[in-house]
Amino acid sequence: MVQAETRTGMSHAQAQRSAQLASASSAGARIATLLVLLVGAVVFLVPFYVMVAISLKTKAELGATDIWSWPQNPTFENFRTVLSNPNVSFPRFLQNTFVISTLSTLGVLFSSSVVAYAFARLKFAGRDRLFLVLLATMMLPGIVTMIPTYVLFAKLGWVNSFLPLTVPAWFGGGAFNIFLLRQFYLGIPRELDEAAFLDGANYWTIFSRIILPLSGPALATVGIFAFMYNWKDFMGPLLYLNDPELQTNELGLSTYNALQSAQWELIMAGSVIVMVPLVVLFFIGQRYFIKGIVMTGGK
Amino acid sequence: MTNVRAWGKAFAVIAFAAFTSVWAQPTPSEAPVRLRFVCWDGDEAAQALKSELKRFEAAHPNIKVKFEANNYSNYFEKLLTQFAADVAPDVVMIDPANFQRFSRRGALLPLNQFFDQAPDDVAPRFDINTYYPSIVDAHSLDGNLYVLPRDIAPIAVVYFNKRMFREIGLEQPPADWSWDFEPRPELGNRDFLTLLKRFQKVNDVGKVVQWGYVPGWQDLLTDLFVFGQGARYTDDPKDPKKMLFDDPRVMRAFQFSADLTLKDRLMPSSFDQAGTNARQMFTQQRVAMFHSGIWETPQLRKELNQETDPKKPPRYTFEWNIAIAPAYADGTRAYPTGGSGYGIMAKTRHPKEAWLLTQWMAGGPGMLAMARAGIAQPAIKPLALAEPWIPGPNTPIDQQVPANRIITDQAEAYVVFAPTGLLWNEVNSIARQPVGTVYTGDAQAKDVLPASNRIAQDRLDTLRREMNLPAFNWPLGAAVGLAIGAALIYWVYRPEFGKHRSVRERRENWAGYLFILPWLLGVLFFTAGPMIFSLLMSVSDWDIITPARFRGFGNYAEAFTIDPTFWVSLRVTLLYTLISVPAGIVIALALALLLNTKVRGIALWRTCYYIPAMASPIAGSLIWLKLFQPEGGLLNSLIFGPEGKGGIPFLQSLFAPLVGANGQINWLQNEKTALGSFIFMSIFGAGGGMVILLAALQGVPQYFYEAATLDGAGPWKRFRNVTVPLISPALFFSLITGFIGSFQVFTNAYQMTQGGPNNATMFFMLHTYNNAFRILRMGYASALAWVLFFVVLIFTIIQLQGNRYVHYEGAER
Repeated sequence: MVQAETRTGMSHAQAQRSAQLASASSAGARIATLLVLLVGAVVFLVPFYVMVAISLKTKAELGATDIWSWPQNPTFENFRTVLSNPNVSFPRFLQNTFVISTLSTLGVLFSSSVVAYAFARLKFAGRDRLFLVLLATMMLPGIVTMIPTYVLFAKLGWVNSFLPLTVPAWFGGGAFNIFLLRQFYLGIPRELDEAAFLDGANYWTIFSRIILPLSGPALATVGIFAFMYNWKDFMGPLLYLNDPELQTNELGLSTYNALQSAQWELIMAGSVIVMVPLVVLFFIGQRYFIKGIVMTGGK
Repeated sequence: MTNVRAWGKAFAVIAFAAFTSVWAQPTPSEAPVRLRFVCWDGDEAAQALKSELKRFEAAHPNIKVKFEANNYSNYFEKLLTQFAADVAPDVVMIDPANFQRFSRRGALLPLNQFFDQAPDDVAPRFDINTYYPSIVDAHSLDGNLYVLPRDIAPIAVVYFNKRMFREIGLEQPPADWSWDFEPRPELGNRDFLTLLKRFQKVNDVGKVVQWGYVPGWQDLLTDLFVFGQGARYTDDPKDPKKMLFDDPRVMRAFQFSADLTLKDRLMPSSFDQAGTNARQMFTQQRVAMFHSGIWETPQLRKELNQETDPKKPPRYTFEWNIAIAPAYADGTRAYPTGGSGYGIMAKTRHPKEAWLLTQWMAGGPGMLAMARAGIAQPAIKPLALAEPWIPGPNTPIDQQVPANRIITDQAEAYVVFAPTGLLWNEVNSIARQPVGTVYTGDAQAKDVLPASNRIAQDRLDTLRREMNLPAFNWPLGAAVGLAIGAALIYWVYRPEFGKHRSVRERRENWAGYLFILPWLLGVLFFTAGPMIFSLLMSVSDWDIITPARFRGFGNYAEAFTIDPTFWVSLRVTLLYTLISVPAGIVIALALALLLNTKVRGIALWRTCYYIPAMASPIAGSLIWLKLFQPEGGLLNSLIFGPEGKGGIPFLQSLFAPLVGANGQINWLQNEKTALGSFIFMSIFGAGGGMVILLAALQGVPQYFYEAATLDGAGPWKRFRNVTVPLISPALFFSLITGFIGSFQVFTNAYQMTQGGPNNATMFFMLHTYNNAFRILRMGYASALAWVLFFVVLIFTIIQLQGNRYVHYEGAER
């Protein structure tokens, strides 16, 4: 450690101690921070508290009590009513959402990793300009392509099926995902490739045996984000899923709300039902989630 | 390594299973004809219809019917879009207001061809003359009947509470009661206003707790006042040419309707209804009379019946019956009306069977089923005059109330159908744009209606003019598209000309293309191809059903000069974006800084703040609807206290100018606060940005701070010169994605306000969606999409100039 002269004439050790003092004496600041965080967290979570509280109240209690009060006798009867509605099947919505999200995520994982590998490792004609095209499509507002793709699917006869929501994922898997994976692949040392070449491997083998196994964390991130995006998608199902039996969580909840006109206790119960899988998924996959965000945001 | 393989295999299995479950359908057997039958009826009626369908299937063994119920709010849009995508049902429920949207596009089969079909064993001889002529005419055009009427529903039914009437000494509303603009006390109870006043009860803080009358929706009352004076909203209901919302009689009716709630307080406003609706006010005995159509009956019976044993006769909370709505002072009776019927979609594969189904459901059997359930008045006159519609000795006891159902036939003579013209829906909503503000008292009818009428009239004229445009030249369009594509390909490959490749390089080249093949196909079919196609569409007028027509730059001109909603939506979206994105980033940064101190349980805090960001968008919209509710909502309860007492005086004075006529703030229905409410909601999504910024903050090495402290930097200088530059990539990223994302806000607006009130939350994406999928103006919507594209492009380019302020550690250029 060099005992250099600093601008203020402090020694390094003195500066360290002063910084430590600064943090220690603001135990007050620590408490203040905690307080602010607590208040903020409460504010942020209020909507969900109210959602759950209302879903546990009976209709009579709802009309008689304040909006923020916890029910006197919490009851699950609203949930029973919602789940046993003959016209609207929440379990079905869950199943549909799961199928669509899974198929799409698989498509995204497959096709974005394959394409990203080529952009990262292979030299082919027009690669750099094609990459610029890729970047450009990242900034494209979806609305420009939404209408013609609808016409395309309509003429193909794919409307009212899962196809428009799952097939495009297999063709490129999203420019952003390709970009992300390419970044990741660029960080994998080329020596591994070269060693494999010497052993007589071809490009596909290198991809599947070397690159892919090493990209676990990146793939997990891409996969989780793709899954969540599809799970929460409203616009896609709104356009393409007409049959009540094909609808997803979001669309089904919207339909249910329209049918139930102002019966808040039921609507909130439906909302809770739709939200539970997401929250559970988040808790399970939290680790990958946060890791993934670290990777995306930092770059 | 093997882990990934194992997971890969597992996923493959799941994928296979999912694929097969999606595509494996049982092959339909040859014999039975399958028909799809769609309606918008709610639960009660759906039950009656389903049992009747079963009886139809029993009588026709070779026909199977699949029943679907959609909700009314987007029923017709959905049907049209389904027709455009060739997935339309066979027999569909339609009403007069909407049938022309289908018939003029050739989407409905004219039914006259079936009238003389030889009766089969089951179908009775068909005679159109037994139907009420008014509703047959409402569903016809140029001599063709497109919809076989099922029911007619004069909205002249006043449900009344006998107990409350007896309290003021009456058994029912007087049979010859009438309304006028001023009270006529000399007529006593026969004057509408005088009668209403007698019911009004006020509590000790001046709040009205009992009302005399409430209409199912406020426009209903306005219709009564307009038609009663002999006025109309347009000149020709089947082919509107002139908009008449600036007719003084019409404006007077709107104002009168608004004043009844706001000035005279004789009628509850939508606000007073406080999270319930008009019907619930009636069942809760807060109002003596509830004006709507006969279709409310099943719901009312259910809500008022205290008897839990279905075998026992019903015990209603109070005695109730129905009366016919009042006439105008000069004796004119005119009532708006509903009504519906069934039509056959043109692309049906089984027209004959579809007719059998239509004739059954919109004939004796179907009508009797609905009548038995008390839901709908038969459109066949003899049936409407007999049991089970009119209660008699054979009527089951649970359908005897309301007893006075003969009024539905009496009212039929005076029904006025809403205009049915093809262009009506669009121009009607334009003309009615400011009506919400009239009803809340924020504007006077005579100030706002002439302006909106003029805009609507302009639009009507334009639309009528544009019925004649040249056909779209698709071959030319294709050539243009190919040219653009060729130019793009040329640009990509130009640097490659004249390059020589070794064998190995060529191998690599092929491999590269094989690997990016999915993406290339994707770009072709889902990105570049559609973009070019969208460009072509933006110079056309197309509803994807009828052939496209060429419009040149007409769409763009219309957007910039004629469409009033265009500029509004652009302004709304820009305002929203420019406020919410920076605010969101600031808050996210603040939270991230707080969390970056060595606070315990960081994972828990992070989760708490992140949950709103990853919650279900629709569930979020719904709970916010509840939180923003005027009475009983969370915000108002906080500011004004529950029940209007207490609360926070500071906030009350802060928000005083926003308070509506009823002492509370209607956050989502008040023009001034609606967009602000959306911005407020967006703050709750800051968790997403927070996590990114927190990650970036945690990536800042500690020694930078130490060095800065050594150099004498205080906290603010440290923040400015160390923190900000080092997290600038993340900030930059958040800014750009934030902007792009918020330009495309859609779900909240769609679910919560549909763009209202008065377009205060009409986000650009919603406006485009409405044009594309509500009214199927695909060409115009494509032009709108391109405008948005350019706006986003400009913003992004501006922001990218800021790239030089971003500090990249270990440059990856």
